[in-house]
Amino acid sequence: MTLRRVLIANRGEIAVRIIRACRESRIEAIAVYSDADEKSLHARLADRAIRIGPPAPGESYLSIPRLIEAAQSTQADAIHPGYGFLSERAAFARACEEAGIVFIGPPAAVIEKMGSKIAARELMQSAGVPVVPGQTPADQTDEGVLAAAKAIGYPVLVKASAGGGGKGMRALAGEAGAREAVQSARRESAAAFGDGTLYVERLVQRPRHVEIQVLADNHGHVVHLFERECSLQRRHQKVIEETPSVAIDDSVRARMGDAAVAAARACGYRNAGTIEFLVEGSGKHARFYFLEMNTRLQVEHPVTEEVVGVDLVRAQLAVAAGAPLPWTQTELGQRGHAIECRVYAEDPANGFLPQAGRLLLYREPSGPGIRVDSGFVEGDTIAVSYDPLIAKLVASAETRTAAIERASAALRAFPVLGIRTNIAFLLRLLEDPAFRRGDVHTGYIDEHLAALNRDEPPALEAVAAAALASHTQAVAIAPAAGSSRPDPWSQLGGWGR
Amino acid sequence: MGALIAVARTLKLRHGASEHAITIVDEQHVRVDEVDIPVRANGDGSLRVGSAGRLAWSMAAGNTRWVFLDGRVYEFEVPAGRGRARGAGHHGSLSAPMPATVRRINVKVGDRVERGDTLLILEAMKMELPVKSQSAGVIETINCQEGELVQPGVPLIEIEEADEA
Repeated sequence: MTLRRVLIANRGEIAVRIIRACRESRIEAIAVYSDADEKSLHARLADRAIRIGPPAPGESYLSIPRLIEAAQSTQADAIHPGYGFLSERAAFARACEEAGIVFIGPPAAVIEKMGSKIAARELMQSAGVPVVPGQTPADQTDEGVLAAAKAIGYPVLVKASAGGGGKGMRALAGEAGAREAVQSARRESAAAFGDGTLYVERLVQRPRHVEIQVLADNHGHVVHLFERECSLQRRHQKVIEETPSVAIDDSVRARMGDAAVAAARACGYRNAGTIEFLVEGSGKHARFYFLEMNTRLQVEHPVTEEVVGVDLVRAQLAVAAGAPLPWTQTELGQRGHAIECRVYAEDPANGFLPQAGRLLLYREPSGPGIRVDSGFVEGDTIAVSYDPLIAKLVASAETRTAAIERASAALRAFPVLGIRTNIAFLLRLLEDPAFRRGDVHTGYIDEHLAALNRDEPPALEAVAAAALASHTQAVAIAPAAGSSRPDPWSQLGGWGR
Repeated sequence: MGALIAVARTLKLRHGASEHAITIVDEQHVRVDEVDIPVRANGDGSLRVGSAGRLAWSMAAGNTRWVFLDGRVYEFEVPAGRGRARGAGHHGSLSAPMPATVRRINVKVGDRVERGDTLLILEAMKMELPVKSQSAGVIETINCQEGELVQPGVPLIEIEEADEA
């Protein structure tokens, strides 16, 4: 079949990314938006945009009936779920199947199987993929979960059985404070996924997070597109991702690729997915354990696209339409290095609190090897209801060092004003000697938070620039009546005291 | 409008605990704490500052002056009126840093709390945000309920602080 029209059940940068792939594939892109997003970039870029409800995600981007209705009313052949929201909800894939709409992702049964940590683990074990010791306690009371933690042996990780992304995840070092952490994990899981079932596993010490991208078609072909290392995380939210990983050598890389393909075959996978592994040690002695499978496109997919030289979203659209895989395994290889920095609206100095507000000034960097995937433009508002991701800055170059320098230079030329962001924090990470050596693990940021958050007083140049902010704009902007920028005249009263 | 630039103006800018005295000498010179700094506005929100001509970006919003310089962002405040500094605002009360839902309240009026105790848990942007006590003391009032959507700056809990001595 041919896809003529695709509805994108998402917002922000990923919706924009998918709209672009649709356009290149000569497919009409239908955006959906909540009232908070009426004027957002994704709604403006799409061929058509459909309002689906109020800002609350439950009444808009998480509402299966409203999305199906929007797809039917626009006669969309397919729905792309993006990441987050309903992307890993089997019920959504099933609702699409029942409505005769192609779900751009794996079948509902596969999402269900891989979404349950216990079923996924058993399946992986039977396919010969190594796993970390753990269980979903049958007794889900505090006592039951704590007993399971004790049986596995502290330290343990407690997490939502129903989902990923770090929501509802807590590390327990020992019995002290364990009960409170279990309760908090359960509440967060129930709020994020509508299911408070918890899973407990042994916490691998100083692990690295290395994941393998796979793509499968409807004709039994599966390929992997090598690894992404995402060890720089904060509270299990990825911050910087790169490929290739410095932690593994070619023999481990090949074995991980084979394991990922075996895993995808074992579950009858279709379309793009990612097998996440924990890696202990490095080089040829690195050991890897299956962590979970993300049955969707990943936030960090661009680094793979840059280094492997493919377009994953366009491939997703082709495979969903029934086409065979666009490449064979032997045609795929890695060339150079790519690194992604996630620019968040958050305040690193204040517990990384998500920030909401207006992008008063927002200028994306550009240049050779620089790619910015974002869903916002200057003047847009970052709403409280959604994820605080503003943009993904992807830098690629011939070597890791060159890619890091390129990312660093680009971030220093990425002014965002009016809302606090983590740009300075990202820069400190890129300058961090351990990161430069490639000697980090998933707990690295949390362990070194104080040093990474160090701040110096502003240079006098910064003060001078601040003094001139109002002054410059009073002159420069005044003629543009009705300009969306803040009214400079209201600020003149503060002068001359 | 030209007159605005021609006349030397003075202002104060605060960053954290430090305050800077500024004189805008003319279009190309700003004096910060007695140091002359050459400046040149580019007209698009960016400017060249200092003898090295470093590229900075600045923007004014209310009493806040935002500056981006070499990957770092600074927020300066133009002190409002005379006297009272705008501090971090924990004079015995705690408020939400952003619009949030009160997920859980761990204390009741009259409870004795220690510095660092989690008093309540807010939820915003799908994340739980624990609100911890900034000091030891006794809970005086609780101005919110579980499930309530609260706005930033509104005191949620007031504490009568214990003497540090």
